[in-house]
Formats: sequence, C-alpha cells, structure tokens
Amino acid sequence: MILQRRLFTLLFALLPLLCIAEGWTPETLPMVHLQDARRYVCNPDGVMSQAAVDSTDAVLARLERDKGVQTVVVAVKRIEGGDPYQFGMELGRKYGVGDAEERTGLIIVLSTEDRAYQFLTGNGLEGALPDAVCRRIQNRVMVPALKRGDWDEAVFASVKAADGYIRRDGQLGTGEGDETDGPAPYLLLGLVIAGFSVFIFSILRASLRDCPRCGSKHCMRSHGMTFFRAADGRRRRRITWRCARCGYEETTDSDDPGSSHRSHGGRWMGPVIFGSGRGFGGGGSFGGSFGGGSFGGGGSGGRF
Amino acid sequence: MSKKISKGTTVLLVAGVVVLFLIGGTLTTYNGLVAKDEAVSTAWGDIQSQYQRRSDLVPNLVSTVKGYAKHESSTLESVVAARARATQITVDADDLTPEKMRSIQAAQGELSQAIGRLLAVTENYPELKANENFSELQAQLEGTENRINESRQKFNAVVQNYNVSVRRFPASIVAGLFGFEKKEKFEAEPAAQTAPKVEF
Repeated sequence: MILQRRLFTLLFALLPLLCIAEGWTPETLPMVHLQDARRYVCNPDGVMSQAAVDSTDAVLARLERDKGVQTVVVAVKRIEGGDPYQFGMELGRKYGVGDAEERTGLIIVLSTEDRAYQFLTGNGLEGALPDAVCRRIQNRVMVPALKRGDWDEAVFASVKAADGYIRRDGQLGTGEGDETDGPAPYLLLGLVIAGFSVFIFSILRASLRDCPRCGSKHCMRSHGMTFFRAADGRRRRRITWRCARCGYEETTDSDDPGSSHRSHGGRWMGPVIFGSGRGFGGGGSFGGSFGGGSFGGGGSGGRF
Repeated sequence: MSKKISKGTTVLLVAGVVVLFLIGGTLTTYNGLVAKDEAVSTAWGDIQSQYQRRSDLVPNLVSTVKGYAKHESSTLESVVAARARATQITVDADDLTPEKMRSIQAAQGELSQAIGRLLAVTENYPELKANENFSELQAQLEGTENRINESRQKFNAVVQNYNVSVRRFPASIVAGLFGFEKKEKFEAEPAAQTAPKVEF
C-alpha cells in the first residue's frame, strides 16, 4: 500500500518533467504576471539568468506604467509544435495581453532548443512597432546574441530596443486617465452632504421650540441670553424664548457648556488607524491581471 | 366592490399580452441579427484591408529585387500581373455571393503564389538576402500573410455565429421575414502557400 502510494507521488512529481521533454504549451506555461504584477518574463526552464530576468522585468514595468504597453516574455527551451508564432497567438488569446481598448500588447517568444523566436504586436501597437521595426531589432540586436548562445543579452537588449521605439511614439500612453472612478466617490459625497444637512437642520430645529400657550410648533425663538452663577457656584446660562406667533415668553436655564471639563473624550483614535494603515503598503506583492487585448498577427519572427 | 371581468375581455387581454410578447421577441431577434450581420461586414472589411496592405507592398518588393536580380524578369512580371488582377476585384460585404468570394479567393491566391515564387527565387541571391531593407520587407510580407490568415479565421467565426442565429428556430422565421440569408465562409485554398520564413 505504502509502496503504491510512494510510486504515485513519484509519478506526480515527475509529471512536470514531461512538459520540459515535450515542450511548453500556453496551458502548461506558468504565467508569472498573474502571481506578481511586477513580473513579465516567464523563465520556467532557467534559460535566462535571474539578473537578466530582473532587469528585463524592471524595463517592462516602467514601460507599462509610462506607455500602457503590457508585455509578456517567454524564454523556454522547447515549445510544443516548435512554432513560436502559434504559441504566442494562443497565449495572447488565452490571457488577453494588453489593454482591451488600446490593444497595445506585446508578446516575445524565444525557444532555444527549437531555435526560433517571434515578436507579436497588438493591433494598437503596430504604429509604434511595425513589422519592419521588429525585424530590424531582431536582425541587429537579437540574432547576433542568439547565435552566440547569449540568451540574456538577446532578450534584454531586444526588450530595451523595443522599449526605445515605443517611447519615441508620441501617441501611445496619452489615452491614460480614461479610467472612470465609478459610483463610489459620488455616493460618499452624497452621503456626506445628506448627513451634513440633516445635522444642520436638526440644530436649527432644536433651537426652535413649540409654544406652550398657542400650540404652534417651532415658533419660539431665542430672544436673549444671560449668564449667572447659581447657588452651588456653577455658571449657568439663561435663555429667553419668545413665541413669534403669540408673543409668549419663557426662560430656560442650563449649565454653561463652555465650562465643562474636557479631560476625557477628547483623544481621537485617528493616529492608531493611520499607523496600522501604513503597514499594508510596504510588504508583499500582489498578483497582476491582463487587460483583455487582442492580436491581429502582426510582428516578426524567424529561426537562428 | 367587486368587478367581474367578462370572458370576452379576458380573452382580449390575454391575446394582447401574447401579441406584445411576440412583438418584443421579434424586435430582439431582429436587432440581434442586425448586430451579427454588421459584425460580418466589419470582419470582411478587415480582410479587404489586409489584402490591400499586401498589394501595396508588392511594388516595393519588385523594385528591391530588380536591383539585385535583373534576370528574373519573368518572375517579377508575373507578380506584377497577379497584383493587377487581384486589385481589380473589390466586393462589398452586402453582395458577397459565393461566386464572388471564390473569385476573390482565387485572385488573391494567385498573388500569394506569385509572391512565394519570387521569394523562393531570391534565395539564390545572397547579397539580396543580406540586404537589411529586403529583410524588413520580407517581415512586412510575412506579417501581412499572418494578418490575412488571422482575419480570415475571425471572419469565419463571425459568419458561423451569424449562420447559427439565422438557421435556429424560431429566429429563422424572423430571418426569413426580413431577408437575412446564410453567408459563405472562407474555404481553405487548395494550393495555399505561406510566405517562406526567414532563415539565417
């Protein structure tokens, strides 16, 4: 029994190796961007060094922030079918890389053992990065490095070059700020205004009393205010009320609110909340998402 | 105070409600068909623009190759002729009969083959292959071929969606009433050739 279970676990553990032997598909490829929004390079076979992956991720993060171009880089040993174009298109369809409206997604696929590469540009990116420019980057920067077997340089340098071309395009990234805030801020504002008006109204009404003689409601207005010291030494306030309808007058006495002690109830819980709030910002990373963009088949590729 | 509704009034009311539902259903179905028809038109327009893009690349291709491969005049001329034939046929999405679609496909297919033959010939000219402009032009051609394929697939998917809606019951009644007909998809070309990939 135990032996059978051990064999099963061993088999399960070995399954991922099958993927490496046969090649990755868009279904089996682990998509790093979904786990960590700052990562764009899928490097499951360790084809690239971690330093190169980090540098490339940094460039692509800045690019997404500044120009709204969402990129996925896949650097693997083998792809199932050996065709990086099909792989890239399926990946683009599966995840919807790039903004749905602008369609500025970029997919770069490198398969070192298939010796093939492909750039795929989203429909909205074809102005900044036309097919000819993709080919130029590949000819001048990527292929010489690929022939040397320098995968790090091939990927990083071509990403930097593409980044340069995209940044030169004045049109991209100017559509930012289209994000609508949604109803929440307006609801909050409405609530605040409503609450404030209710508050003000209640204060106004409280200062209007009903006349006990003629029975009209809220017709007593404060006519005068004096202060005096009561028999026990406390400061008291006397307000004279006068009815607007019938002229009836009466007085009310109360403690002077100005003299009450403020020892308790004055401290606010504010700083405590803000203090704990700061803790959230720093630690941990959050998963990213894709914008739902589409690809028309543009870009360039080849074999080396 | 109870008011009894007569049987005649009840029948009338029920009939009225039924008619309302029918009208509403017809409206919804009609609008749905219109939307899908428009999607087909858009997809067709997309294919046309990709075909045009390829046609626009041909003069540049011909002049670049001519500079290096002067003796390949027959291959060059066949490309120019195929392009002329292909650009003559333009069809609106509205009158996309099967015959017209087939003639467009045939003409564009011939252009594909002529370009393919020319690119195959350029393999014999290493100086031309090494020329960066030519490499970038090839990238544009390959990219356009890919775009044509993708837009054809998209067109077929949209046509399928439309056809299913038109043929389904009870929408088929509405379709018949307002003249929505089944549309043709792109068939795979018998001698389809993809542009050869660049190899270093």
